[in-house]
Amino acid sequence: MIALRVAPLARLQLALGVLAFLFLGLFLLYPLWGVLSASILTPDGAAFTANNYIKVLSRSFYRASVTNTLAIGLLATLTTTMIAVPLAFAIARLDVPGKLLMTGLAALPLVLPSFVGAYALVLLLGRSGVVTQALNSWGIPFGSIYGTPGIVAVYTLTLYPYVLLPTLAGLKAVDISVEEAAQNLGSSPARTFRTVTLPIIIPSVLSGALLVFIETIENFGVPAVLAEDKPILAVEVYKLFIGETATNPSAAAVLGVLLIVLTATVLIIQRRYLARHRFATGARTLSPLVKIGAGCRTLVTGYCWAVVLLALVPFFAIVVLSFMEFRGPVLHARFSLGNYAELFAVAGGPLSNTLMFATLAAGGAALIGVPIGWVLVRTRTGWASLLDIVSTMPFAVAGTVLAIGLVIAFNSGWLVLTGGWLIMLLAYTVRKLPFTVRSSSAILHQIDPSLEEASISLGVSPLRTLIVLIVPLMLGGIVAGMVLTWVTVASELSSTVVLYSGPWRTLTIIMFQALEGTGAGVAVAAASVLIAITLIPMLAAYRLLRRHELSML
Amino acid sequence: MIEGVSRYFGSVAAVNKVALTIEDGEFFTLLGPSGCGKTTLLRMIAGFTELDAGRIHIGEKRIDTIPPHRRNIGMVFQNYAIFPNQTVAGNVAYGLKARKVAGPEMARRVGEALALVRLEAYGDRWPHQLSGGQLQRVAIARALVIRPEVLLLDEPLSNLDARLRVDMRGEIRDLQQRLNITTVYVTHDQEEALAVSHRIAVMQAGRIEQLDHPEHIYRKPKNLFVAQFMGTTNVLRGIVGEHQGDLVRVRVGASELSVADPSAREGEPVSLCLRPEALSIVHPGNAGSAGLARLEAMVTKTEFIGPLARLEAELADGSMVRVAVLDDPGTSVVPGSRILLAYDPARITVFRQGSP
Repeated sequence: MIALRVAPLARLQLALGVLAFLFLGLFLLYPLWGVLSASILTPDGAAFTANNYIKVLSRSFYRASVTNTLAIGLLATLTTTMIAVPLAFAIARLDVPGKLLMTGLAALPLVLPSFVGAYALVLLLGRSGVVTQALNSWGIPFGSIYGTPGIVAVYTLTLYPYVLLPTLAGLKAVDISVEEAAQNLGSSPARTFRTVTLPIIIPSVLSGALLVFIETIENFGVPAVLAEDKPILAVEVYKLFIGETATNPSAAAVLGVLLIVLTATVLIIQRRYLARHRFATGARTLSPLVKIGAGCRTLVTGYCWAVVLLALVPFFAIVVLSFMEFRGPVLHARFSLGNYAELFAVAGGPLSNTLMFATLAAGGAALIGVPIGWVLVRTRTGWASLLDIVSTMPFAVAGTVLAIGLVIAFNSGWLVLTGGWLIMLLAYTVRKLPFTVRSSSAILHQIDPSLEEASISLGVSPLRTLIVLIVPLMLGGIVAGMVLTWVTVASELSSTVVLYSGPWRTLTIIMFQALEGTGAGVAVAAASVLIAITLIPMLAAYRLLRRHELSML
Repeated sequence: MIEGVSRYFGSVAAVNKVALTIEDGEFFTLLGPSGCGKTTLLRMIAGFTELDAGRIHIGEKRIDTIPPHRRNIGMVFQNYAIFPNQTVAGNVAYGLKARKVAGPEMARRVGEALALVRLEAYGDRWPHQLSGGQLQRVAIARALVIRPEVLLLDEPLSNLDARLRVDMRGEIRDLQQRLNITTVYVTHDQEEALAVSHRIAVMQAGRIEQLDHPEHIYRKPKNLFVAQFMGTTNVLRGIVGEHQGDLVRVRVGASELSVADPSAREGEPVSLCLRPEALSIVHPGNAGSAGLARLEAMVTKTEFIGPLARLEAELADGSMVRVAVLDDPGTSVVPGSRILLAYDPARITVFRQGSP
């Protein structure tokens, strides 16, 4: 009789919630527990020990990896914010030509793989880079881009949209009447900006900046290319686990736990802050453009276009270079399709692997993420807020760490997945789950729950209502989340590098292996193909993504 | 039909042991302020809110154990809940498809339902092309087309503008009469409730305060809450004085009023409720006030709203009474003028103090 007392709608929510918990428990929490227990248990798993932590943290090399990671993260967050906020203000409030195209191009770095950007920087300005050699041949000395400067530069140019887009939205949402009210009360335009406009947009700026910070801490590809001997947390975790010399899983686990603690802390701060400081703004009329002089206008226009285009130069350069002839690592200025021929001759078909993984992961993330999104929006009970927390966690888990957890969890025992494609697909699906969860819950907030009740009262069961009525209404948000999943899985490196095996090499793995020295031509071709396959769905779903991108940040 | 139904949200009883029977073909209204439990009760009938105690029957059939999509109850939602991705005809056909009604039969019934709400020509339109009033009609057609045993309406007029609201409530009432369908209507607007209902249940804090026909609820409220909720009323506190035939004198400050309540005991404190329109101004040309009791007052405020003039006046002890008089070009009352008010003692409702 108890079961009868639970409404069918609530029963469906409960059933979907249980399935979601099972999935996330098995493929997110259990692997993470594996990492944690590897760090706090003795090798035989019999007793707790702090030895692993003491051993790792007593070495200055690993302590430096923590401080380096934090320092680079802070620096990159600062430069990103300093570049993006003026850009947002110029686009929102100043008369800058070509705004529409500019905002479109400015969103591209969000999906272009930062790893490719770092690789391009090496090809152009690295020790044997095209530009470096040209400069050297003219006798102009050029400093090193390896280490902090290069990493921060790449982060700044690839992550600035994380701050730009929310700030732009924030500026556009400021109701002009509050600014008019301030001026009507005797406040000058400058004072109005400082005391009214700025406080309203600061939450948007900060939430974007914190996301940048998380991205920089988690990122594996950029430091893997540019850090060289400088220890960086995400890279050291990988080296300790996979390492060419002696592997040390418990030390890798220690660093992995530290990495998660860092990102989780920042993510919690970001969510708390957003929940408390989001102002309800409802702009009915757009603010008029601020009038500026011709000289000022030229300066601002130059600045805006410089930032937007500079961020795209590395990707453009990669595509150009891919059509030139490489002999080993040496580049010759001669048109050639040889790189592509070589790429498609690689055994296992990295392109088809990448396409397959991206497609399956996008489908899987939607299949799991959409029901979670629905449950989160429609259920107001304790277990739903727990599900909310668990399904947001992948944001805070670096790809390397999740992958190591999956290896620890499914290397032996009742379920062995290592060495196959499924474990890679699971890593992708779990890591990108927040995109579909967030995009579908964002759109569900706009769908009145009484639509579901109307359908049920007309005789359609809850599950059928969800499938035939609600999912079609959510389609825009679902597709936007899937496109973003597809694109980011295609350029995923940090989990892949831990999990891949011979036949399942992806385009990013081809590029990663080229870093060791050989095969630069194949890598550049792979990077170009990657750029193409991330741009095509982006452009195809451009309008859709513009409408939904903010909800997923 | 509804037996001792309860629902708790935490320790708060949203619906507290409500029991009532609605007659076949009746237009029944649940009326009360927001948070009184009226919508919760309606959603219990629809099946969207669980019962913590009690049962609900339609005829002989117990329905509170049936899942909502098998109850065959039509519901019209406050915000219409029109499916935006389906045409008007698609919306109306939705429930028929769920019942696997055959194509030709379905088309016929959709046409009939749309004709019922005078939207025959709108079947191919999309919801975003319709006005609020039209969406409301689609929602009604969609609920009726499944031939429900009961029609539920959850504040259906609250999103419409004032004029349309008056038109629509008349339409809903006519439709209900024509189809003779048992209807439960939820509203917080007492005028709307009075205008459409056979019977009204006035609710507060999860309980039914009074269940009666509209005239009785308005004229003979059972308690102070109902009296004050059902429109403007004057509440005067006084002490029962001596009996004079059928009437009793009640002292209110320095004034004395007559009331028709033979059971009142001398010395007992009471509250008197008197509607503003039950008071009239005595002047030489006003013969209608002959034979009524009188009360002296001084006008403090006047408000002219066209058909009516509303006055506020002070009794001798300073307590305020509101008066509503029909527009009369022959009289002009200004603040500060002394007037004599006439009333029928039978129209004063007496509440013992201490009782709610």
